[in-house]
Amino acid sequence: MFLKRKQPKEAALNEFAQVVEGNSLGKDAWKRLKKNKMAVLGMIIVAIYSILAASAMFLPINPYDQIILDHQHLRPSFNKTAGDLMMETKLDDLYFKAWRAGSLVVTEAESQKIEEWISLNETNKVWNFLYTEGEAQRQAGTFTFSSADQRTIDRLQEKIDTEFLINVDKMFYTDPETGKSKNIARMNFLDIQRIYAEYLGVEESVISDQIQNEIRSQVLNTVKSATPDLTAEEYEANLELELQSLGEKGMASLGKTNLLVSLKTAISRSIERGLKQEIKDDKTQFPINREVTVNELLSADITADLKHERHYYLGTDYSGRDMLSRIIYGGQVSIAIGLVGTITSVLIGIVLGAIAGYAGGKIDFFLMRFVDIMYGLPYMLLVIIFMAIFGRNIMNLFVALAMVSWLTVARMVRGQIMSLKNSEYVEAARSMGASTGRIIFRHMVPNSLSVIIVYSTLRVPAFIMQESFLSFLGLGVQAPYASWGSLVGDAVNGMTLYPWKLVFPAIAMTIFLFAMNFFGDGLRDAFDPQSKNQL
Amino acid sequence: MTKYIVNRLLGMIPTLLIIITLSFFIVRIAPGGPFASERKLPEVVERNINAKYHLDEPLIQQYGRYMFDILRGDLGPSFKYKDYDVNYYIANSLPKSIVLGSYAMLLALVFGISAGIIAAIRQNTWLDYLSMGVAVIGISVPLFVIAPVLQLIFAMKLKWLPTSGWYTTGEGWKTVILPAVSLSFAYFANIARLTRSSMLETLRSDYIRTAKAKGMKNTTIIFKHAMKGAMLPIVSYLGPAFAGIITGSIVVEQIFRVPGLGKFFVQSSFNRDYTLIVGVVIVYSAILIVMNFVVDIIYAQLDPRITYK
Amino acid sequence: MSMKPNAKTVLEVKDLQTYFKTDAGIVKAVDGVSFSVREGETIGIVGESGSGKSVTNLSLMRLIPSPPGRIVGGEILFEGRDILKLTEKQMRSIRGKKISMIFQDPMTSLNPFLKISTQMVETIRLHEKDVSTQEALERSIEMLKLVGIPSAEKRIQSYPHQFSGGMRQRVMIAQALSCNAEVLIADEPTTALDVTIQAQILELIAKLSDKMGTAVILITHDLGVVAGMCDQVCVMYAGKIVEKAETDELYARPSHPYTEGLIKSVPRMDTTKKGNRLFSIEGQPPNVIDLPPCCPFHPRCHKAMEVCRHAYPPVKDLGKGHEVACWLFADESEKQQALKEANVKEKAE
Repeated sequence: MFLKRKQPKEAALNEFAQVVEGNSLGKDAWKRLKKNKMAVLGMIIVAIYSILAASAMFLPINPYDQIILDHQHLRPSFNKTAGDLMMETKLDDLYFKAWRAGSLVVTEAESQKIEEWISLNETNKVWNFLYTEGEAQRQAGTFTFSSADQRTIDRLQEKIDTEFLINVDKMFYTDPETGKSKNIARMNFLDIQRIYAEYLGVEESVISDQIQNEIRSQVLNTVKSATPDLTAEEYEANLELELQSLGEKGMASLGKTNLLVSLKTAISRSIERGLKQEIKDDKTQFPINREVTVNELLSADITADLKHERHYYLGTDYSGRDMLSRIIYGGQVSIAIGLVGTITSVLIGIVLGAIAGYAGGKIDFFLMRFVDIMYGLPYMLLVIIFMAIFGRNIMNLFVALAMVSWLTVARMVRGQIMSLKNSEYVEAARSMGASTGRIIFRHMVPNSLSVIIVYSTLRVPAFIMQESFLSFLGLGVQAPYASWGSLVGDAVNGMTLYPWKLVFPAIAMTIFLFAMNFFGDGLRDAFDPQSKNQL
Repeated sequence: MTKYIVNRLLGMIPTLLIIITLSFFIVRIAPGGPFASERKLPEVVERNINAKYHLDEPLIQQYGRYMFDILRGDLGPSFKYKDYDVNYYIANSLPKSIVLGSYAMLLALVFGISAGIIAAIRQNTWLDYLSMGVAVIGISVPLFVIAPVLQLIFAMKLKWLPTSGWYTTGEGWKTVILPAVSLSFAYFANIARLTRSSMLETLRSDYIRTAKAKGMKNTTIIFKHAMKGAMLPIVSYLGPAFAGIITGSIVVEQIFRVPGLGKFFVQSSFNRDYTLIVGVVIVYSAILIVMNFVVDIIYAQLDPRITYK
Repeated sequence: MSMKPNAKTVLEVKDLQTYFKTDAGIVKAVDGVSFSVREGETIGIVGESGSGKSVTNLSLMRLIPSPPGRIVGGEILFEGRDILKLTEKQMRSIRGKKISMIFQDPMTSLNPFLKISTQMVETIRLHEKDVSTQEALERSIEMLKLVGIPSAEKRIQSYPHQFSGGMRQRVMIAQALSCNAEVLIADEPTTALDVTIQAQILELIAKLSDKMGTAVILITHDLGVVAGMCDQVCVMYAGKIVEKAETDELYARPSHPYTEGLIKSVPRMDTTKKGNRLFSIEGQPPNVIDLPPCCPFHPRCHKAMEVCRHAYPPVKDLGKGHEVACWLFADESEKQQALKEANVKEKAE
């Protein structure tokens, strides 16, 4: 009895008893969006990317920031392990040397071809040719390596077969007083310094000096790589500048990173020998995943695996990091900056635009003059200055971009509010005594929301492009973090030798931007079918 | 009309003033910047700076001097390259950037407008789909991907064009092609899309129907009646396009090793050569403001409904 | 408003059908319309918005936006030739020269980017190639004076936005008549104008057409306008002509209930007493997508019969060219026949 009767759906009848159903704007838009195949495809791709980026941590991929110098610039391969590729590279080199020395005999014509390739800088072709030729001759028995070369090969093979990599995932420190075990990564710089000194059995000041020096040389290296050919004196001045802008906090966090690395290295060294012995005695099998005790206070979770058994499906970069992982993690950074940046700039824009539009008068005048002036500026340059002055990190990048990108939203919202200001329903709300804030944010902003949503979707790719643009120039995301822009930026030098470094991040980024643009376009057409393909 | 121009010219002054003031103070609040007083510098550098920047004077006097210098067209000495001043670098590199930017703009306008008109007239034919497809690529693929890819294909693989450099490298005008084409691509794409949509909208308007009812030929209608109206959105897009080309030239000059202003800008921002950074920004802003002014005048010329207030 | 019973027929429309393809289905905007225009005659086409008046006349000029629109059937005979069979080039020499058009909204119908002089001279020189620019300009000034634009010599060098709505419509008329068109199609020429200006413009059209011997097709939804200007009236409803008669005859004997309703809904000074409510036709005109076979007016008709719901009425001539499409005037046998057919069909379903 007390069940509420379901309200019959409101429907109008026209003269011929046809049911005319009323649809909400959102429903209508969704219907139109579903018809647009490209937009749906775009939406699906965006969703896949987002899921991949969000779940990067749980994907079975190599760590994105692990530097393995043996694995520098390995080409992408599906079936060959890193070890195989290392061996191939070595053989390329050896065959080339053999050809130069005259021990690898090829025909006159082929020799000429090789010389021509060398003069054209087509190194890859030379290697490929000599490798196939050399392998064939070695199979046929017409060519053998010199004993020195053979020894090199054997040594490399042994290294590939036996070398393993210990990963210290977590380190725990048991407090001697309370007996509680704590994760070292969560401690502060000074505590870690003390633990490290304790572990090595030296004075704390020794460690502290050592860390200071490490940071100095690290910073100096980055300065040198960024600005080549300066005098030593100028480098010194630049170094001081950089250190100055790092500040106490920056120093502490850099120091902590360095300390953790040193501690991890120390721990893995201490357990390495034991593990090696175990392998020799066939006591354990790879992969290893266990908890080890270093001494009575320190313990660690480790994983260990054969170092050169890895597969790099998309190759590696200049310091042997897995490109696949870097692209996925780079996507995470790029998409996150795109989304969060867009939301921030849209929020700033909505608030300022709504205020300007509703208040009118002087506030409006000054706000809009300000927007006009900002529009007249090449504001990416301002962002670059900001990054140059306040330091290159993700947070600054984000602040700088959000600061300049609210302009268009503010203008748009202002226009919408101005036109809605005089509409009947706002009059009605005002006559009922609604407060200004309520009128703006409960009545006007929701009514402009479809425009804002559409604009925001189109903003995301623009934001990602700007972020990548800065990262490309080296002013945005810094290693070990990656973003699509910085990956492309790193790849530009040496792209004939290592094209995969350029191609894969570029493709990943392009597909996402395509999808995002199609989705945004589709959304705009769906919400506003009148303005087809308007920019 | 003259009154309008004078008014707009006067309106440019506060914008420039704000930029200069902003840059003056940004450089002075920069942590670890050349003007931070608590810093310890080698004696040589310290003396150098004090002499060059009149740091012993009160701030307001420094500001006045800075303003005055800029009005005279003197952007001050470079902080890093002690032997030269900012004017020298800008005078050396700006012409290259202007040539590159103008070529890019020209390419974007010529090909963008033609592609847009063709797509609009042949709506829903393969021509339309082709040009809009290319335009979508131009919008979605960032400049710093297009440029290296073009370089890889046309310079390194096919070897039709030089990989990098500028006129002086002996290859002459060929060195301009790749940088200009890559720089223009995104703007070509935007202009083509904009032209298409505004042309379609204009062709749907009442006055085009009138022209048809008069018995005019389609081509005459498009070029005599629809063109002006359809070009208005493109003209207003030119302002942002100029800004974009200026920003984009930074990347292109980096990739193709063009010794233009953009390359200096990036270098100086790494070097923290603040006087050079600020000098470049002021020059860029001035160019952009003048361009926006020109665009406004063109717009007013095109649209008779605009009254010169 | 003079009757010329023996005048030659200049334009004859036979069973014109113009359909639009939309996502929702095929819109039969004009479905079997026939009428003819004699030399110097003014014919009115009356109907509500969406009844197909404008589409009919755009079809006459072959200016239907295509796609989505298409003229799918019928004939339009102009000076004995079927317009629909002409090439585009031949058609262009008719547009603006033989048949010209004035549109509803003078504010947007003139090109805002070109001077009036450019637009007028261009029209004349387009069709009369041997006329020099100077002569064309003089003739344009002449025309502007004729339509009552003060200081035409000066104002011809202005842009459209410098004119008021009424003035712009005068310019449109001047432009339309500058090539001595034989038929002038005026598509609601006064709807967008002030009431005081409306009368002036209509008077101007009437005066000029009389003077130049131009036949006028006046499209309007205002029966008052028709009464004052037209020799003949067609009443359109849902893409079809439901009644066609000479003006006096129509007002004296409105036969279709729709026409009757339209006439009754015009406020009149003489017969309507104070306090009497103005008549209004209930409901909305139907959506012309996938109309079932029936009289489209039946839901709003107070005389609707069973047969009206099942078949479209045949056209009956009531004499003196007064034609009406309504079951009220059909023979009983016809009705029975139609009902029988409909019933058979329905049973079959």
